[in-house]
Amino acid sequence: MLATTGVAETTGGSRRPGWFGWLMMAPMLLWLVAFVVVPTGILLVYSFCQRDDLGEIVYSFSWENYRRIFFDSDTGKFGTTYFTVFIRSIVYAGLTTVICLVVGYPVAWFIGRAPESRRNLLLMLVMIPFWTSFLVRTYAWIMILSNNGLLNSGLEYARLISEPFEMLYTPGAVVLGLVYSYLPFLILPVYGSVEKLDNSLVEAAFDLGAGPVRTFQEVIVPLTQPGIVAGILLVFIPALGMFAITQLMGGGIKPTIGEVIQNQFLQARDWPFGAALGMTIVVLFAVVFWFTSRKQEPA
Amino acid sequence: MKPIRLLLAGVLIGLVAAPLPAMAQKKKNVLNLFCWSEYVPQEVIDGFTKETGIKVNVVNYASNEEMLAKLLAGGSKYDLVQPSEYTIEALVKAGKLEELNLANIPNIKNLDPKFTKMPHDPDGKYSVTWMAGTVGIVVNTAKVKTPITGYKDVFDGTHKRRIVVLNDAREIVSWALNSLGLPINEITAENLDKAKPLLKEWLPQVKVYDSDSPKTALLNGDVDLGIVWSGEAAILYKKDKKFAFVLPKEGAHQFIDSLAIPKGAPNKENAEKFINYILKPEVSKLVSEAFPYTNPNLEARKLLSKADQENPASYPPGEPKLETFKDIGKAAKDIDKLVTDLKGK
Repeated sequence: MLATTGVAETTGGSRRPGWFGWLMMAPMLLWLVAFVVVPTGILLVYSFCQRDDLGEIVYSFSWENYRRIFFDSDTGKFGTTYFTVFIRSIVYAGLTTVICLVVGYPVAWFIGRAPESRRNLLLMLVMIPFWTSFLVRTYAWIMILSNNGLLNSGLEYARLISEPFEMLYTPGAVVLGLVYSYLPFLILPVYGSVEKLDNSLVEAAFDLGAGPVRTFQEVIVPLTQPGIVAGILLVFIPALGMFAITQLMGGGIKPTIGEVIQNQFLQARDWPFGAALGMTIVVLFAVVFWFTSRKQEPA
Repeated sequence: MKPIRLLLAGVLIGLVAAPLPAMAQKKKNVLNLFCWSEYVPQEVIDGFTKETGIKVNVVNYASNEEMLAKLLAGGSKYDLVQPSEYTIEALVKAGKLEELNLANIPNIKNLDPKFTKMPHDPDGKYSVTWMAGTVGIVVNTAKVKTPITGYKDVFDGTHKRRIVVLNDAREIVSWALNSLGLPINEITAENLDKAKPLLKEWLPQVKVYDSDSPKTALLNGDVDLGIVWSGEAAILYKKDKKFAFVLPKEGAHQFIDSLAIPKGAPNKENAEKFINYILKPEVSKLVSEAFPYTNPNLEARKLLSKADQENPASYPPGEPKLETFKDIGKAAKDIDKLVTDLKGK
């Protein structure tokens, strides 16, 4: 998504690529076909299959897996635990996106408006966490937040609290872990837009009598919108499917959709059902994306 | 989300799977070992290579189910796998294991006869026990002063949100079945219905589900009680004697992790050499020291320090009520559904 907005801006929209363009894009297209289109196709086929005793795929067509997602198998009524799990995941991902936006936008703005000589240094600071595996960084959070952890010990030492404060294995810890992991994915695309923003337009808004709030709303936000949209997508979509952080920092008490899907593939040995859950999300995304992009088209 | 995950999975499978067959063809003197992460000490592997000149390629997995999935998907040829009892049973049933040539494994004489020819492999033709263990209760006696003897004491409501349990649906359901006096290997709709109300009462009291390292939450003081692998309990006890280990009086799961050779393994003889090597008392002792489960190797046990021999989590005293798991086939799905429903709400 980031790539498409970038291309659209530089080439000025709807110019069709010639043979040379296709040739340049070939590696990326091959990559997409091999690692996105084909696996998604396999998932689609699996989602209509069943498993045998050993957990191998049995190729016989059935809607059973999708029925299990939408209808309670005991009562036959519409609505299952998977709905609750899915809504919980959306709430986590949504909250994460909002916090990332509120925290990340000013940071991106500050970096984008900083003197050019300092920008690279600041950008590097944003990217430094990527030098370590995110699992290691998540374990570090466990050490900070646990009852005998750094934060609780520090607070107790400073006599601010007498009993350890329960932080780890709570929904708050999950959101903290998600925000921590995905914040750079919002800052970087927004920075890209802020950096390109023509300062004279902001000055013009002020000259014409707009206050700071109005300038922000009507000039700055629309002009940095491609970065904001890309950032939101880059945070929301992976946060929705994340299972490692929610499991490690949430204790797996209230599972997210990512954890449930992972369970189908690894523990329950029920690949077809896991595939059906995965496909349902893909379709849902496609529908939402189609609606939102149709709305934007006239503008 | 999906494309990114798939993409990662694709890359990972490519990285893991691609080199194996190539290496196997290039040289005969290799062993492709597919084993649990954190279960085969590096010094054992190095020692084997030093003694036999056979190079060992190690690939890890984190659950029996993951191992099965990768083994059955084909593509990569493994010479030796490390399944637990119910997985051995399923693999034997499906004809996916090679028969062992016991003439190549003379050191099997070191094993306690209790751990050979077990129900999952009655003739001892397909597997050799690597380590045995149980799933029991760890009590932080500095925090919990009331006596804990079984599952019912853990979930009596006074330890709400102070409990870590394995993130494993089959284990969890077996505790409820044991508490109700029901057979843990008969997973019928009727028995699950009976277990459901009990689990509904139990699960909200749990603070952490963790199969990989349940000791972390106990060590960090986030919980006071745990129902965990005995090896984890033994490590906790070694670190601090306040972590007592209790085998639930209602009955507990005994798991048997074994070595077995998958059908069509390219280096079957090397795999047998490896099995024979790890059955040497001095080698088996190294495994026990790193991963203090119940060592089935009687000769190796003699070499362990007195403290290790007396660790109650590794070698529980008395005659506890233990039972192994049997393969339950498709019922795994019903168990998963039950636990997901209860957790998800």
